Amino acid sequence: MARIVLKDLVKEFGLFRAVKGINLDIQDGEFLIMVGPSGCGKTTTLNMISGLVPPTSGSITIGDKDVTFMEPGERGLGMMFQDLALFPHMTVFENVAFGLRVKDTPESEIKERVHKAADAMHITPLLSKRPGQCSGGEAQRVALARTLVTNPEVYLMDEPLSSLDAKLRIDMRTELKGLHKRLKGTFVYVTHDQAEAMTMADRIVVINGGRIEQLGEPLEIYRKPATRFVAGFFGMPTMNFLEGEVAAADGGPLFTNAAIRVPLDATTPASLAGRKVVLGVRSEHVETGTGTNSGEVRLIEPLGDASLVFFEFGDATRLVAKVDPDLEFKSNDKLTFEFDPGNCHLFDTESGVRLN
Amino acid sequence: MTDDIYKPSADAVAKRHKARFDKRVIVRHAFLIAWALVVMFPIYWMLQTSFKDSGEWVTWPPHWVPHEPTLKNYEQIFTFNVQQAGVARDATEQPFNIWGSLADSLIICTFSSLIALLLGTFLAYSISRFNVGGKRFRHSVLMIRMIPPIVIAIPVLMYFAVIIPFATESVFGTRISLFDTRIGVIMLYIAISLPFVIWMMLAFIDEVPYTVEHAARIMGASRMYTIRKIVLPLVASGMVVTFLFIFILNWAEFLLALTLTHPDVSTLPVLLNKFQSASEGRLYGPQAAIGTVITIPVVIMGILIQKHLVKGFSFGMMRR
Repeated sequence: MARIVLKDLVKEFGLFRAVKGINLDIQDGEFLIMVGPSGCGKTTTLNMISGLVPPTSGSITIGDKDVTFMEPGERGLGMMFQDLALFPHMTVFENVAFGLRVKDTPESEIKERVHKAADAMHITPLLSKRPGQCSGGEAQRVALARTLVTNPEVYLMDEPLSSLDAKLRIDMRTELKGLHKRLKGTFVYVTHDQAEAMTMADRIVVINGGRIEQLGEPLEIYRKPATRFVAGFFGMPTMNFLEGEVAAADGGPLFTNAAIRVPLDATTPASLAGRKVVLGVRSEHVETGTGTNSGEVRLIEPLGDASLVFFEFGDATRLVAKVDPDLEFKSNDKLTFEFDPGNCHLFDTESGVRLN
Repeated sequence: MTDDIYKPSADAVAKRHKARFDKRVIVRHAFLIAWALVVMFPIYWMLQTSFKDSGEWVTWPPHWVPHEPTLKNYEQIFTFNVQQAGVARDATEQPFNIWGSLADSLIICTFSSLIALLLGTFLAYSISRFNVGGKRFRHSVLMIRMIPPIVIAIPVLMYFAVIIPFATESVFGTRISLFDTRIGVIMLYIAISLPFVIWMMLAFIDEVPYTVEHAARIMGASRMYTIRKIVLPLVASGMVVTFLFIFILNWAEFLLALTLTHPDVSTLPVLLNKFQSASEGRLYGPQAAIGTVITIPVVIMGILIQKHLVKGFSFGMMRR
């Protein structure tokens, strides 16, 4: 079985510490997505799992084998690359067959397995073409077929969809998720696209600056981000952040600053009273037309199923609210707003750690 | 559409375009043709001189075409017995024919170019992938070629003719000299070709993305298997171009071959230089004939591998 355990994994490139001690327990059959901004160490971590990059310290276990110092080819992995890394001089058939040929598989078996994989990925008509003659989506399927033809237990994917156009990318997401269900392998997937992570993952691990910021299920990460970074990284548009402090009042805890007073949930820890915090609230939890705070509309972005209203209040602080598209706002309109108290996130101003 | 207002009719555009196009094309082509004639003329002169008999080699006014075309020059350079009928020239002074030199040149150039290509490709691979020699090395590879060949000719001669024989005699008891041997010239040609091979192959190998090698490694391929099945096929066109390039350099190399060989080994350029006689000076006819013979294989090779030349020089193999 292919459970993957990373223990205190560190990678240094010269003086630069790309990965600063990652501990991760990836369950057998799990679809785990590592997400983070570019340069955060997610690809380096993936490459250490694959064996392409040797770790500076720490250990990697796949199944019950310590593979830390094993060759990539001995680890029983399949990997997909950002640029797909198809072999341009070989036909699609030879591309898919490569992994089998390396292992000296008998020719009849190669034929059978390549055709099976090609069937599964619907690329049978392409088998005699070269990768250069395939469209982006087709090349993607070829790369997938090449990865799954060797029946690996672990699938590593390094931003495999980033070269596709938006529409195709969304179709491939569904397909990959379906593929994961069928294959029952362990998927470790790297992306910088939070939407990709949200839609496909069983669990998401958010990496920033070579460290894990949060590990959890997609909705858990969306609803209860552990740090300000995670809160800002997930969700479109980006979460609204306001600096201020928590005050205790008769009606319950409040968040206040020079321009605004918003009630907080009653469950907010009493110990936070008087503390400087950053309040985060998603656009869908900003309600317009109610409340005592007022602002002025600056910009409207209709999305179809909803509209984004960017408005300013106080000292030109800009917030965004996701509203019903039927509400007709115009620039410079006055509006009143309040936050859903149950969905306000409080973070430490310094460390960014979640407080409520 | 508002665009249409600003657009002259397609016909007018075509006319204006055509007029301007015609004038430019004529001027440009006239210039290019004139320049091509200037450049090609020496080749033409060599070719037609090779069909002239001695009386016509140097005439005033020049004979633009041979007045009495003859194959005597070719007969002289190809036949073993130069005193045979038909070549009634000061032939006894020229006991040479081309065959020995042709063999020398072919063997020396083929082996030296092939070995240099093989070594250089692997060196370039290690420089590209492992930064062998440090970051600056790739830029200084060609520096060795900045030393004029004449500067190294005499030291290498001493090395081949004195130091190596001395060393082998003191160590093994047999005197081995590399002077005037094919293997000596081959070794030297490998050394002087290597910088070019490394420099050219580096450009081609750098074009091959790491990820295709990584993909192969993940599937269990060893480094050598990956190089054989993935990297070399991807740079094959580059290797062909590089081979042709250094083959031509070595094929035409004169100075070092002249210094390091005599009398046993003689490459074609050296042989060409030997075709002169005391009474007639330079034997322009036979020299032109040899020149033609030297040129033909290179031209044929170029034509045969034209497909690779285009691919190789475009350096863009990996782009889709």
